[in-house]
Amino acid sequence: MRFAVSAEQRQFAESLHELLARADTPAAGRAWARGEHEPGLKVWRELADLGVPALLVPERRGGLGASATDLVVVFEVLGHHAVPGPLAESVAVAPSLLAPELLPALASGELIASVALPPLVPFALDADVAGVVLRVRDGRTERVEIAEGPVRSVDAARRLFRVEPEGTPLGAAPAEAFELGVLAVSAQLLGAGQWLLERASAYAKQREQYGRPIGSYQAVKHLLADVATRLELARPLVHGAAVAVTGGEAVARDVSAAKVAAGEAAYLAARTALQVHGAIGYTAEHDLGLWLTKVRALTGAWGGAGHHRARVLAALEDM
Amino acid sequence: MTNIVVLVKQVPDTYSERKLSDSDHTLDRESADAVIDEINERSVEEALKIKEAGEGEVTVLSVGPDRATDAIRKALSMGADKAIHVSDESLHGSDMVATAKVIAAALGKVDSYDLVIAGNEASDGRGGAIPAMLAELLGVPQLTHARQVTVEGTSIKVDRETEDGITHVEASLPAVVSVTEKINEPRYPSFKGIMAAKKKPVETLTVADLGVDAGEVGLGSAWSTVLEASPKPPRTAGQRVEDEGDGGSKVAEYLVGQKLI
Repeated sequence: MRFAVSAEQRQFAESLHELLARADTPAAGRAWARGEHEPGLKVWRELADLGVPALLVPERRGGLGASATDLVVVFEVLGHHAVPGPLAESVAVAPSLLAPELLPALASGELIASVALPPLVPFALDADVAGVVLRVRDGRTERVEIAEGPVRSVDAARRLFRVEPEGTPLGAAPAEAFELGVLAVSAQLLGAGQWLLERASAYAKQREQYGRPIGSYQAVKHLLADVATRLELARPLVHGAAVAVTGGEAVARDVSAAKVAAGEAAYLAARTALQVHGAIGYTAEHDLGLWLTKVRALTGAWGGAGHHRARVLAALEDM
Repeated sequence: MTNIVVLVKQVPDTYSERKLSDSDHTLDRESADAVIDEINERSVEEALKIKEAGEGEVTVLSVGPDRATDAIRKALSMGADKAIHVSDESLHGSDMVATAKVIAAALGKVDSYDLVIAGNEASDGRGGAIPAMLAELLGVPQLTHARQVTVEGTSIKVDRETEDGITHVEASLPAVVSVTEKINEPRYPSFKGIMAAKKKPVETLTVADLGVDAGEVGLGSAWSTVLEASPKPPRTAGQRVEDEGDGGSKVAEYLVGQKLI
């Protein structure tokens, strides 16, 4: 099993970082929360130019035929910059569910997809920007319409929609669809946690109290070191799960372990970042809140820690 | 068919601390992250635009140590077709004249070129004379400080921007162009571009391969010598004036003291 990120993957992550650092994703996220999608969709188009939505689409359908390990490297960057929109749904999950004739449009970024997988993923995220909304129920894929929404999420930039109970059957849904969604969200959590750590560390070096930067006090330093350790230890689990999805062994166990570890690490990063920032971190004007709420929402999305711990336990009992 | 050669230099990242090495006062390349010079990303972008507008081939040419392959790789990921990398220990410490000679010799290894695109100056040395020296050595027109480039058949038109204003210049190909940072916004390497770059040919050459005498290049043959280098002294704290209703006259007094008013 090979874990290390390749030179090409690192280069692509760098490319995405450069693009997103200039794209002002916090402003796009705020606009998205108000239902103004244009700035966010512009970011999506730029991501499409670099090949993000084409990653998991097969080459013969206009895609890149990339692997799950490529996917997690990309999603860590997307999470780092808190890009709004149905990323896991459209980029990670839809390629395995959509009819082949729709895949070229998905790969080019022309078509955005959203997916509900009740009961764990009861709503279709940002279904109003999606050209196609799918639901996976009892191992079958259906095409569905929006029934109602948006429903409030803890993350204002996640606009959730209920879908109609009846849909148009499309065919069997592969089990990997759910696993890829969980994997993508885990990587997103990792990236968001990393951003929170970087922001909190930068703030600790800059904010002074009693005449010294607060980061020079051990009590603050240790909080941040704990976050760094947790994130570092979660990353191999996420990359390992990506290898498992590619290789097809103990997939549920590894993907669930990754989700639990990435979720807990990111959540600790969020709590700590808020504590280090103090009151300014609570304000709506500060960007921190965009990441805090996203981490809280993603920790529960695609199955919470309880569900995923149970899957790990079940897998261990079967061994 | 326009054959374009883009000159690419790997430089220390401008975000990191840049310094000269203690031993011979040449650039300390190990102490900072090495990246493709930003102006060269724009040079590559311009070459790709010209290629995409018609037909052509873009060759990246870089003179630099082994690790410069990373800068070359980035240019190839953006979409350049192939690369020539001149790497030789004897080049260490070369001045601009020697570097221009090496580049001119390396251009002889390209089948034929219509256009050479360079940045107006590198962010480390900031000499800004290589494009002019190269044009002189090649005996072709130089169109420097371009903020807009248009290729029409065998002629080239450039909007040249300097502090004095904008000059419209025109020349016939082949020619050397240097671009400023206003020329364009460079593209980011795509997943496809990065994967394709792995398979693109990079020819590595030594000065001997170019027929250049190693004695003519390097620190020993440089026309100027750095005798001493010291870091810039830290800025001293300014003078603080408390405003007790007479702030305005105190400021005036200070300016009079400095003979500014």
